This record gives sequence, C-alpha cells and structure tokens, in this order.
Amino acid sequence: MTKLETANLTRRFMGLVAVNNVSFKLEQGEILGIIGPNGAGKTTFINLVSGIIMPSEGTITFNGRDITYMPAHERARLGIARTYQLIHPLENLNLIENVMIGSIFAKGSSLKEARRKAERLCEEMGLTNLERDTAKLTILEIKKMEIARALANEPEVLFLDEVMAGLNSDETKDLIATVKKIAAERKLAVGVVEHVMGVIRELTNRVIVLESGELIAEGPYEEVSKNPRVIEAYLGGAA
Amino acid sequence: MNRNLSRIIALSAGAIAIALPLFAGDYPLQVARNVMMYMALAITWDMLLRSGQISFGIAGLFGLGAYAGILGMIRGGMPAWLSIPFAAFVAGFAAFLIGFMILRLRAMYFSIVTLALGEIFRIIIHNLHDFTGGPEGIVIQQGVIFGGSSSKLYWLTLGGLAVAIAASYWFEHSKIHFALTAIRNNETSAKSSGIDIFKWLLVAFVVTSAIQGLLGGIFVQSYGFATPETVFSADFTLLPLAMALLGGVYSTVGPIFGAILLGLVAEWLKLKIPYGHLVVYGIIIILVILFMPNGLLGRIRQTTGKRAGRTA
Repeated sequence: MTKLETANLTRRFMGLVAVNNVSFKLEQGEILGIIGPNGAGKTTFINLVSGIIMPSEGTITFNGRDITYMPAHERARLGIARTYQLIHPLENLNLIENVMIGSIFAKGSSLKEARRKAERLCEEMGLTNLERDTAKLTILEIKKMEIARALANEPEVLFLDEVMAGLNSDETKDLIATVKKIAAERKLAVGVVEHVMGVIRELTNRVIVLESGELIAEGPYEEVSKNPRVIEAYLGGAA
Repeated sequence: MNRNLSRIIALSAGAIAIALPLFAGDYPLQVARNVMMYMALAITWDMLLRSGQISFGIAGLFGLGAYAGILGMIRGGMPAWLSIPFAAFVAGFAAFLIGFMILRLRAMYFSIVTLALGEIFRIIIHNLHDFTGGPEGIVIQQGVIFGGSSSKLYWLTLGGLAVAIAASYWFEHSKIHFALTAIRNNETSAKSSGIDIFKWLLVAFVVTSAIQGLLGGIFVQSYGFATPETVFSADFTLLPLAMALLGGVYSTVGPIFGAILLGLVAEWLKLKIPYGHLVVYGIIIILVILFMPNGLLGRIRQTTGKRAGRTA
C-alpha cells in the first residue's frame, strides 16, 4: 500500500534546481534508501516531503490525500515524522521531555499520558536514566532520543536523515537493529538518507539514487550499485 | 523535602504580603506597591521570553491598558472596578490583532517592532487631544476605586501580581511550557513534532499583553490620573527587564527575586543619592550581565547542582 507519493516534485533556489522532477512512491512496510553524492538534493527532498520547505512544482500525496502545501506541523499530526542530519536536541528539556513533545502536540496527549508513552518508547529504544539533561547524553543516545521523539508522533511514514553519521561500527550495528525492529513492529514506511553504503545494504529493501536533484536510478541496492550511471555519479565522468 | 521547603517559603511570603497593610505605614506600602507592580511586569516579560521572543513593548501595552481603563471610566461611564478587566481586555485584544502582523518576525526585528508599538500608542494618545486629554493627561475627578485607601490599593496591586504569578505558574506546568521551550530551542524541530508555532506565540503574546494591560488599569486607579509621559514611561519596559535578568530568566521565581532586590535597592538609592541613583542602578545591571548572565537563580542552581552531582 502506497503511503507517500510525489509527482514531478521540483524545488528551485534562485537559479539552482535542488530537486528536479522527482516522482517516487514509498510503500508501507518498506525501508527505502535515498542515496546520492553530496549536494544531490537528498535533504532538500526530505525537507519537501516533511513540509519544512515548500515545492516550486509538483505534488505530494499522503494516503492518497494531497498535502503539497500543508504546513509541517500538520503533516506531523497526519503521520509524517523525521529526524535531522544535524542533531536537534531541545536543550532546555531533559531526555524524557524531549520524547514527550511528539505525543503532546502531534497526538494531543495529556502530559501524564505523554510521559507514559515516552517511557515506553525510551525503553524500546534502550534509553535509560530518563531525567538526564541532553548535554549529558552520548551521540548514540541523542540519535535514539531523536528517533524516539519522531516515533512519539505515532507516524506512518518516518524519514531518518543520516542517523548513523558519527557513530562507531558497534553503535551503527546497534542502531540498524533498532531501526529494523521498530519499523517492522509498526509496519512503518521508512526513508533513510545515508552515506555509508554498508548501512544502506543492511537496512534497506530498495533504494533511489539522486544526482543533481534528479532521480537517476531505482531498485534493490545490489542492482543499483552496479548501474553504470550510478557509478559515474559517484566517481565522476572520467571512469 | 526540598519541594515542601519551597512551598512553606512561598506560603509564608504570601501571608506576609497579604498582612503587610495591617502593620506597615503608608510609605512602606507605597514602596511595596511599586515593587509588586514592576515584579508583575517582569514576570509577564519573562513568560514571553520563554518562547525566545524579547519584547520591548511592556510600557506600550501597560500604557494602553492604563488609558483604556481611565477612558472607559471617564468617557464610557464604567464603574472603577470594571475599568480594570476592561484594560486587560483592550490590551489583550490589541495584542491579538497586532500578533497576526508581527509574530512572524524574529530576534531583533520582533524586539524593534514591539518597541515601536509602544511609541505608536503613545503618539496616538498624545494627539487625540479631545478624547484622551492629550499631553496634559486626564484625571479621575471622582469615583476612584476604594476612595484612594492605601491599604486597599495595596491589596488591589497584590491581586494584579497574583494574576501574573498564577499565569506564569500555568505557563510552567502545562503544555504551553513544552511548546514555548521547544520553539525557543529549535523551531524546525518543534514543527516536526506537530507544534503550531504561530498559535502558541499568539497565545503567549495575548496572555502576557492582557496582564500588562490589567496592571496599567490598576496603576491608573492607584494614582487617579494618566499622562502619556507617565504611563508610557520607558521605566515600565527597562526596570522589569533588568529585574528578570538579575533574578534569572525562564522561571517565575527569578523575576520575583530580581524585583525584590532591585526594587528595594532602587528605593534606598533614591534616598541616599537623589540625583545619581540611576547611575548606580545602571552599574548594577552591567555587573550582573557581565558576571551572572544566568541571574542570581542561575548562580544558585549552578552551585547546588554541583553539590547534588558530588553526592550522587
């Protein structure tokens, strides 16, 4: 079942076309990798579908409903959640309060209910000692907290923008397993931006490749990674 | 234990504040009224600051409330008691309308516009001579509340302060606390968690403005007159701001501490150095900002926090 779909999605910044005519579908239960060289438009693409910026052209539909120009906070309530490439802890709230935010505003839970839900989510993510300041958390804990905060929205679609960046190999393995588990249990549609190809191979069912804002390839990782156009995009024209 | 202790302190402070007119003379009551007025304004300024928005418009909304109250009485024939909630309503409603225009602005742009807002209100009132009395101001000839009894006026001001404290407590212990803190920390992140930023800023701006207007309404009842120069005085913006900064921002307790300290110091300085007290006052503010950027409360929390860390 298609959860999220874009048609001819385009975003221009002045003369630069950051996302150019991208049409894609994200299905329930799949983990989709969004890859491409630096500056390919991956984060801009996520910003468009999550409503942080608005498209210049094209449409976005969620569960068949047109959400092209819907504000970000309404999309969050509707069921689209995301994390950010640069970590965004809310530093004046502690660990559990950070996670509560999603339940309070996206789901309209009372503070008490939000705390209970946040406790469960933190436990599921393997977070302990929940009254800690965010300044005292490790990178892995912050990444898990941000995923928990996104899950508190009770989303159907989840975008993870480079959540593995900055983690060592053990931590990466830990987080891959966690993401797989939460996605499977909730039957989420997940979009993952990642630079480490090992992570993409482990985690995703399917990938799309962006280059200079355009979608140049699509398919299972093993297949796409042999695609000459993708290799050229990564290694440059000389090859 | 700690919570019980602060509850006992708060209750005793409240009891003393209520009972003060029973044993204090007119002069101390007058000083206390002043301090409470500034304290309440400091609390409301801090309430909006919790969303990251620095307002320089306190005097503007305070003055607007003051004039709404006095004109409601003199031109509208309202009884004195009604003019006070009316002042709150006018300031709150004005903030609601203005909020649609200015709450998309951030940082210094927001601050500058709020500063200009006060000036605009002042100039309009200054020039509507026939209706407002113009630069000479307007005086309540008869029917001033409580017949001007100083202890009853004290209680009235205390009531205004209680409204500010109650609202601030509500801001600290409800959803709005999470909304404003998230907006202050990171707006993009806040949006992604379903927070309607504009809506919450509007709530905070309208509530704090209405209380500032309410205090303006109480102020004119206390003094029986309003002129543009007195009720739009920059003191009503700068002193509350300094008090909140001294005490410690993002809380109810900080501005309360700051107002008591600065309010009393200011009064004492006024007696000691009648013509130079503002200079000393300014130096205190500079020292605080340089050496205690988190205010007294921040300094206390830092010290006790370290202690807690050691025992843990």
